[in-house]
Amino acid sequence: MTDQTDPLSTELDPVIHAQARLRVVSALSVLREDDRITFPQLQDSLKMTAGNLSVHLRKLEDAGYVEVTKTHQGRTPATLVRLTRRGRLAFDDYTAALRALLNP
Amino acid sequence: MTPIDDDAPPLDPAESLALIERERANVGRDLSPDPRLMFWPWGIAWLVSFTLFFLRFGPDGRVFVDLPAWLPLATLAFLMISAGITTGVAGSRVSRRVMGPSNRQGAMYGISWSVAYTAFSVLFSQFSDVLPEEQAGLLWAGGMVALTGALYMAGAAVWNDRQMFVLGAWVSVINIVGILLGSGWHSLIVAVAGGGGMIAAGLIGWLRLR
Repeated sequence: MTDQTDPLSTELDPVIHAQARLRVVSALSVLREDDRITFPQLQDSLKMTAGNLSVHLRKLEDAGYVEVTKTHQGRTPATLVRLTRRGRLAFDDYTAALRALLNP
Repeated sequence: MTPIDDDAPPLDPAESLALIERERANVGRDLSPDPRLMFWPWGIAWLVSFTLFFLRFGPDGRVFVDLPAWLPLATLAFLMISAGITTGVAGSRVSRRVMGPSNRQGAMYGISWSVAYTAFSVLFSQFSDVLPEEQAGLLWAGGMVALTGALYMAGAAVWNDRQMFVLGAWVSVINIVGILLGSGWHSLIVAVAGGGGMIAAGLIGWLRLR
């Protein structure tokens, strides 16, 4: 039924097609390949709560779009996030689809 | 297909694209050091100390203001070390937010500056006692400015940053012109065009990121 009310969702990637996750993926797309951003920094840039961000990251991780790793920066534990190749591809496809919808 | 959970409803395509751009600009800003902190300390160092050089060691041996002879070089050394510390701290604070190839690049670039400056300082200090004060001053100033220009151009190549390349090329060209005109003019040109150029670069970079 949503398919009728929202024509966008018929052709757009459902994983990214949600405001919060679109914001997360957009933010991560700025990183150069193989760079990882720290979780607190990502949270700060996106102005999301840690819980909310974790939930969306997990969904993106399940889809294979992001990779979350735990490591240590000196003695403090750090959580790092990167966009996978698959995630970057999905993001590029998504933006291309948006542009196509704007200029058919 | 429907979104896989109950999140805020998706926006229309134009709004979505605007959201993407906003978010990318946001994070881009958070992950780059403040251009003012990266360029202004150097611009001020050059503007102030090369103005002192010009006033004390003017063209054709003229002395516009009878400052102590050691003052310009001491000011330059002090302000450059301060600038190095400021940009080093500002750069590394930002680079800690990301881990991966690009902060290794940043660290290698930062180390290149220190190593190259040290090498030039050690080399030039061998000549300080041999050359007349004016020539020694030109050697130091011209050498350090040449190195700065070259490192900016190299940095521009690393980050594919056109604005940084223009700054490096500009600094290099005015340095050559100044060297050919002689030591007094060199100081004036580096103070105004070099220091001014860096202050302008910091301002332009900051306005772009805002």
